[in-house]
Amino acid sequence: MEAELKWLDDPTVFRVNQIPAHSDHQAFASEAEAAGAASSLVQSLDGKWQFIFAATPNERPANFWVPAFEGPFDEITVPSEIELSDYAQIHYINTWYPWEGQIYRRPAGTGDNPQALDDFSTAADNSVGIYRRTFDLAAGLQGKDVRIRFEGAERALYVWLNGHFVGYAEDSFTPSEFDLTPYLQPTGNVLVVEVFKHSSASWLEDQDMFRFSGLFRSVSLLAQPAIHVEDLHILPTVNDDFTSGQLALKLKLTAKEAGYLTVDVQDASQTSLLHQRLTSAATVELAPVTFEQVHLWDTDDPYLYHLVIKVYSAAGALLEVVPYDFGFRRIEINANHVIMLNNHRLIINGVNRHEWNAKTGRTITLADMHQDIATFKENNINAVRTCHYPDRLEWYQLCDQNGIYMMAENNLETHGTWQKSGAVEPSYNVPGSVDLWLPAVLDRARTNFETFKNHPAILFWSLGNESYAGEDIAAMDQYYHDHDSSRLTHYEGVIRNPAYRDRISDVESWMYLPPAGVEEYLQTADKPFLECEYMHSMGNSVGGMGSYIRLMQKYPQYAGGFIWDFIDQALLVTDPVTGQEVMRYGGDFDDRHADYEFSGDGIMFADRTPKPAMQEVKYYYGLPK
Amino acid sequence: MDYQNKLHVIYGDGTLGLQGPDFAYLFSYERGGLESLKIKGKEWLYREPKPTFWRATTDNDRGNGFNVKAAQWLAADYALPCQAISLKVDERKFKQVPVAPATNEFTNHEEAEKVKITFTYQTLTVPATTVKVTYKVKADGTLKVTAKYHGQAGLPELPVFGMRLIMPTMAAGYEYEGLSGETYPDRMAGGRPGTYEIQGLPVTKYLVPQENGMHMATKWVKITRQTTLNNADHDDQPFSLTFKAANGDFAFSALPYTSEELENATHQEELPPARRTVLVIAGAVRGVGGIDSWGADVEPAYHIDGTVDHKVSFVIDPGLQGNVQTH
Repeated sequence: MEAELKWLDDPTVFRVNQIPAHSDHQAFASEAEAAGAASSLVQSLDGKWQFIFAATPNERPANFWVPAFEGPFDEITVPSEIELSDYAQIHYINTWYPWEGQIYRRPAGTGDNPQALDDFSTAADNSVGIYRRTFDLAAGLQGKDVRIRFEGAERALYVWLNGHFVGYAEDSFTPSEFDLTPYLQPTGNVLVVEVFKHSSASWLEDQDMFRFSGLFRSVSLLAQPAIHVEDLHILPTVNDDFTSGQLALKLKLTAKEAGYLTVDVQDASQTSLLHQRLTSAATVELAPVTFEQVHLWDTDDPYLYHLVIKVYSAAGALLEVVPYDFGFRRIEINANHVIMLNNHRLIINGVNRHEWNAKTGRTITLADMHQDIATFKENNINAVRTCHYPDRLEWYQLCDQNGIYMMAENNLETHGTWQKSGAVEPSYNVPGSVDLWLPAVLDRARTNFETFKNHPAILFWSLGNESYAGEDIAAMDQYYHDHDSSRLTHYEGVIRNPAYRDRISDVESWMYLPPAGVEEYLQTADKPFLECEYMHSMGNSVGGMGSYIRLMQKYPQYAGGFIWDFIDQALLVTDPVTGQEVMRYGGDFDDRHADYEFSGDGIMFADRTPKPAMQEVKYYYGLPK
Repeated sequence: MDYQNKLHVIYGDGTLGLQGPDFAYLFSYERGGLESLKIKGKEWLYREPKPTFWRATTDNDRGNGFNVKAAQWLAADYALPCQAISLKVDERKFKQVPVAPATNEFTNHEEAEKVKITFTYQTLTVPATTVKVTYKVKADGTLKVTAKYHGQAGLPELPVFGMRLIMPTMAAGYEYEGLSGETYPDRMAGGRPGTYEIQGLPVTKYLVPQENGMHMATKWVKITRQTTLNNADHDDQPFSLTFKAANGDFAFSALPYTSEELENATHQEELPPARRTVLVIAGAVRGVGGIDSWGADVEPAYHIDGTVDHKVSFVIDPGLQGNVQTH
């Protein structure tokens, strides 16, 4: 198979040869490795790569994917944002598409563009990063099937190994995996990755943020032993007595030989609660096992059970160890339209959180994540909305461990297709009810679910952000209800098209609705209420929060909200005039059209120090409700 | 001569001097205000204190157009002509302040128990209104400052109302009894009461410089400096001055910049080098809002109505410059 550039233009092509999305479990070759959280089945490809930047698709060198291609190359760090290495202009824009006033475009399949293709493959604004590196297989990977995983790439990527085309992926914020096995050599492998800034997916990724491109999250090789847990679905349920529960498992295995596996569950004090041996098969199920006493998970007591799956060959050789910490909790909506978690009213003291680092953009570190969790705990923040895309894999684990409720949002925002200068004007909205766009958005919903389905912290699947509403988003909602009874769906944008109100979102969600409007809804609430964005913390702000909190104290149907937002998006640069390190925002890079300081709405400054408003947040989030 | 129990009053040809053992105050008729506040040999004023009306536009102010609606107050803040001055020394009321040659009737041995001087300022607004700033000085040097804003129909809401005192050099820090952190009328529930010490004059690093650093519900603030502009002052020991709320409490901010300097910068690094202390003691502070940043107004309870009167009052006690004791 050969790579085709026109995939960039076709909304129906978004994954070519990609391994289907699966759970985010980690695999280890031994118990010792699992205990040390260092797997010999994983080889990081982070670090220095060779690099070629092309301002447009037409300016790419010929045959760059051929191993003999000699460049010339620059060097770039993976992961990083291409713009922050100064190849391409840094640009911040909020609701408009980044080509506003530069290129006239309409999405494929909409009124003014009835043809099924976009124009990105030849577009003047579509810059390209060509990444190349060589690698030898680490010992732990040799002799096994090996895949490559890109944890994040904006916005469309093509992969070649040793001159062979491997695959194509969109959906910038979820892992993309490809099987490398057919083309692998033990040593001297030449890996080439081509990342386009734009593809048809750009229509789906119009989030309010700096618009970057490149391999901005880690790249790694993952080896699969002869029998491998490809997908793990942990199904803990809580019985109506809220004391006992049941645990079921569904596994998908890839197996080249016969074997068996063991399933162990321990509580937090390492007491064994379950040990079962199961025969390896393509799908393996653990029938529901009753736990007479379950220790429930919630924000105050994020109690996790340890599941360990060990995979053995028929001869009893240990092939793979898959540990996963899970929790028992139950979320539902009661007859009074109150969201109940473990039979108690759910209180969301939340924030929206973009992944951000003032020096490296959306390439963030584990230390950043740990610091953010510590800030949450210190300030009574108990919930996070992953605005407006899935976050780094580790973040979900941290939320499980620290009792942070998650609204896990899909990578979807089409703001500029329906809202123009504040007015609702959906004349060329996608995904809308356009068939052409349905597979792509459903795939995003599926990937989000399949990847993160085992995290007790996730209470809500959020269909996306500010994308209006139509049949396609209704289908996303339906997808989650078809596949997951342990969570609620969330989508704010349906308020713009109430015809879909019965089919989209289990909760009534608004943004920035003033307290009077909140109360008006609560007086006749027929769905639980929350504000997925409120208290816009731009500059010196967060005044009047008490008016919302008092309503929460008055109406149990009001579950709470997520402050907009956690951290300023601003970039630390050296000021050429003073030589000082200074913060820069939209428009500071000659980028136009820009939305300037609107990028800075955090309760934290971009350097991760709290704004003065934080003590107010801490106070109100600490009050009983 | 011992003026321990009386103010020494110096009727200058264009000024009024009031002195005691540890203090010397100088009111300038020409300049329309208190020109010098010297305590234990240290000058505390760079320019005459004036009423202040403007706060540097916040992002929310810009978003909801408040900076446009209230724009007149920027002009009023920037230039504030003094319209009238009245003087009372003990029981003697001066119809007109005594300038040369009327001052020929006095000597260098004039005394008083108390002096009251009022400056009336006229705002550059349409319609105009007045603010009266009264200084009441007692024999021990205690100086009570009261600023009264006269509400006027047709005037827009105020960004802030208070007195702005600019000190010649940048403070080493300040201490206050009030609420923790930075607080505004609609964002003070989380402020914990206590006494707090702040190093330097920190400017909160909002991406676009804007109103910052307000402290609501303050009983007193003590500013500590270490430097003066006096070339003959070779003393580098810290020295302090305390501003006490006259009744109840006040709000204050202590920054190295005026609201106009903050207003003029689009980034922190565009602010001029920090070299002064700008103390704003406010009787009315507008809330910051937060519902959104593109139109939502501050909740009505936290507006400052321009059509009604507002007041701020505080006391400077030259004897309190060391340890603060207000209880």
